[in-house]
Amino acid sequence: MARDSIVVGLEIGTSKICVVVGETRGDGTIRILGVGQAPSRGVRKGEIVDFETAGKCIREALVDAEEKSDVMIGSVYLGVTGAHIAGFNNRGAVSIPEDRDEICEEDFEDVQASAREVSIPAPNMFVHSLLQHYYVDGQDGVLNPIGMLGRKLEADFHIIHGVATRIKNSVRCVKEVGPEVLDVVFNPLATAQVLLDQNQKSLGALVVDFGGGTTDYLVYSDGAVQQSGSLAIGGDHITNDISLGLRIPMAKAERLKIEEGSVILGNARPGETIVLKDETGFAGKEIEREMLNTIIHCRVRETFELLKKRLDDEGHLPFLGAGLMLTGGCSLIKGINHLAEEIFGMPVHLTHAQTVSGLTSAFENPQFSTAIGIIKYADAMQPERPSGFFGRMRKKFSFFGLF
Amino acid sequence: MIQVHRNSSTAYDVRIKVVGLGGAGGNVLDRLLLDGLHNAELIAINTDAQALTASVVEQKVQIGRTTTRGLGAGGDPELGYAAAEEGVEEIRNAIEGAQLVFLCVGLGGGTGSGAARIVASLAREQKALVVAFATLPFAFEGRRRRAQADEALAALQRYSDVVIHFENDRMGDAVAPLAGIHEAFATADQTVSQSIRAIIRLMHQRGLVHIGFDEIVTALRGSGEAGAHCVFGFGEADGDNRAHEALTRALKNPLMDKGRMLEDARNILVNVAGGPSTTLNEVQILMEELNRHISDQTRLLFGAAVDPALGQKISVTILSALQGAPAAAVPVAPRPAARVESAPVSVTPAPAPAAPVSLAPVREPVVIERTPEPVAPVEPAIAARIVEPPVTTRIPEPVVVERTHEPVVAERIPEPEIIEHIPEPEPEPVPRRVSRVRPVREPESEPEPVYVDTATRAPHMPTPVAAEAAPLYTEPAPAPASEHARGPKQPKPKPTLAKQEQMQFEPVTRGRFEKSEPTIVDGQDLDVPTFLRRNVKVK
Repeated sequence: MARDSIVVGLEIGTSKICVVVGETRGDGTIRILGVGQAPSRGVRKGEIVDFETAGKCIREALVDAEEKSDVMIGSVYLGVTGAHIAGFNNRGAVSIPEDRDEICEEDFEDVQASAREVSIPAPNMFVHSLLQHYYVDGQDGVLNPIGMLGRKLEADFHIIHGVATRIKNSVRCVKEVGPEVLDVVFNPLATAQVLLDQNQKSLGALVVDFGGGTTDYLVYSDGAVQQSGSLAIGGDHITNDISLGLRIPMAKAERLKIEEGSVILGNARPGETIVLKDETGFAGKEIEREMLNTIIHCRVRETFELLKKRLDDEGHLPFLGAGLMLTGGCSLIKGINHLAEEIFGMPVHLTHAQTVSGLTSAFENPQFSTAIGIIKYADAMQPERPSGFFGRMRKKFSFFGLF
Repeated sequence: MIQVHRNSSTAYDVRIKVVGLGGAGGNVLDRLLLDGLHNAELIAINTDAQALTASVVEQKVQIGRTTTRGLGAGGDPELGYAAAEEGVEEIRNAIEGAQLVFLCVGLGGGTGSGAARIVASLAREQKALVVAFATLPFAFEGRRRRAQADEALAALQRYSDVVIHFENDRMGDAVAPLAGIHEAFATADQTVSQSIRAIIRLMHQRGLVHIGFDEIVTALRGSGEAGAHCVFGFGEADGDNRAHEALTRALKNPLMDKGRMLEDARNILVNVAGGPSTTLNEVQILMEELNRHISDQTRLLFGAAVDPALGQKISVTILSALQGAPAAAVPVAPRPAARVESAPVSVTPAPAPAAPVSLAPVREPVVIERTPEPVAPVEPAIAARIVEPPVTTRIPEPVVVERTHEPVVAERIPEPEIIEHIPEPEPEPVPRRVSRVRPVREPESEPEPVYVDTATRAPHMPTPVAAEAAPLYTEPAPAPASEHARGPKQPKPKPTLAKQEQMQFEPVTRGRFEKSEPTIVDGQDLDVPTFLRRNVKVK
């Protein structure tokens, strides 16, 4: 049993590959046993572009995690992202057969299948179908329709889909390294599980994971996922902009971004410069702080504006009571919360995984939010605790919907 | 050691009086007084003795003692007019000696609508400049009231140098839907009082780049027309990011619509004031940010000032007027043709059949004094007010004439000539008014205002205008004078100016993402650095 409660989350990020080993307890809490990570290569914008190199990095990260947690990793839950993954809402409906008028388990599967009877692009596959609401004979707000009498069961789902081959490529890449992949999770969905508590989910919240290669977002409202997606812009772009704009190597640009970067304009004294020391192969350079900040500001502002535009299309933004949860590596850039507040017009919280215990250094770093989230997601999906098939199904449905 | 004392109070000693007329005007005065206003005298004028008593303003004038017997005008402008006529002497005494009169009035009611023009004309008699702040009624106050307000506004325009009017409805938008009606009215008062204070402050402030009354008039040009409205924003902030925050606050003003309003404005006045710690960098950043909200064709009238009283704060004042819908031009449609005939100096003072005339006949002959010298041949008062000799004389000087050639020009009836007074070399004789504007402005030693916008820089010389207009017309660029004549014949439906696409000298670069799958959103390759795509200057 103890063995079974070990869950491993693997996130193949653009800047780093991260493996989190956690122990789930009966009461739903999670203890982090160890975190392994390795700088990522062969990954661009959240997707693997160099199979072999990425495989090596995954192995490195897994080995690191095994050493730190003292656990043999046999299977993992894999987080996926990329601009190809998108979500939409759809309603499924089933009529209850004539010979009975009570709603039972099998109707659930039917209604979900019916919600999936919608055209997604041919090369795409479903990643998640997340329940939002039930309706029984048009009656709104039914929490659990099992055992209810009715002729028609309807349910709203948020359906997340992505290009099948790309998702399968990620899975294969991990499998070739060794461990089994138990399930794939869309990253922001996992992230939201550790950033938001139940109260925030029902109040409504926007989760933005500003990562290295992509910016993933997910909207919770009324306790259910309403909108999700991924924008293929991330910290890499900021680094690239700095590198091109200031004409310095990528590595220097990256360090400059992390150590000195800020999105606040007008804070630097006029003419204030940052001196890059000369090293072998690099002649040294003086960089105007305001210039650096302007470049970062432009990119971050644009990203947020694009994101806002996407979110505005569905109109959930004005109803998010809990505000915006900003996480991911780029949330460490100075002043980014102020900029986000300005653009989204709602309170912005810089957060990290909340509901876990163990290595504080791990879960207090927003870079690990997603990997820890994967564990939380996996814990909720694990078929161990609820007894029997029906309980399992119930668990599966209720997790994203109504708990 | 030589000590030079510079007495700022004498150099800028303009006598300003703020007159609150009627109930709404009185409310604004109370608000002004409560928020603290120096450098100006406040005078409340009302028919309603009770309302006057309740006012906290010290100087009060009750008009229409016999006409209304201390009651209000009962929403009847005729009564308000009669009351004001009765009280002419008292009003005159009250505003005597002022060089600048701010007239706050709520139009639509009796006292405000009826008496406003009398007060304005009396102020002019005293050779004071008159700036009227008029609030128009809420839509829910009924159409009748609105009609009265519109009529009074048209009349007021004729007697005031500048009319700034505020749509109460627009200000109501800023109030939370559940807020009480009281709060909605209070917000309206506050916005008016804030803008009065900002303008007074502008005139009193010693500027590094000074803004004078002429700039204010330029910025507000056209604000009195039907359908037009005033855009005003004021923001103050301190802290690390104060430049940015001050601007944000200014743009948050209800009349601003988060800066979206500014896109259509032609002239925008921006004054940045800060404590001694203000850096040039901050001002630059602020202006850069503001520039994002305005179009390339907009003329920026920029002022900067250091005011030790502000301490660590930076304050931003934005002032502009938006032209109304093109429909507003319809009633004055015949004007352009007439203007074409009356080409140079041969000003034919034909009383134009323009709508404003019919709206309210001019009752006070006082006006004649106000017409600028060049119009000397013009005899009757009505004609003097309506005909715009400056337009014709102005022809070789294309600054003022918008390149869109909408018949809008015809609507700038109240004293457009002040606008001429910009520190550009001018070929024609400067109208008399200018000399009176002077005292408001800086002493000669101070730097002259600077027009920041490079886009509008060029038109100060006659030829580039033709060049600018070229993309609009296929014909070869004509002389500026003929351009005027041509304008009305080919009315342009929209002021869409062809935008010059900027050539990229360097090949578009994607750096690290050169070989990866491009991210294209709305036709933009997002892998190309944002600052390159948005032409933000780096280095």
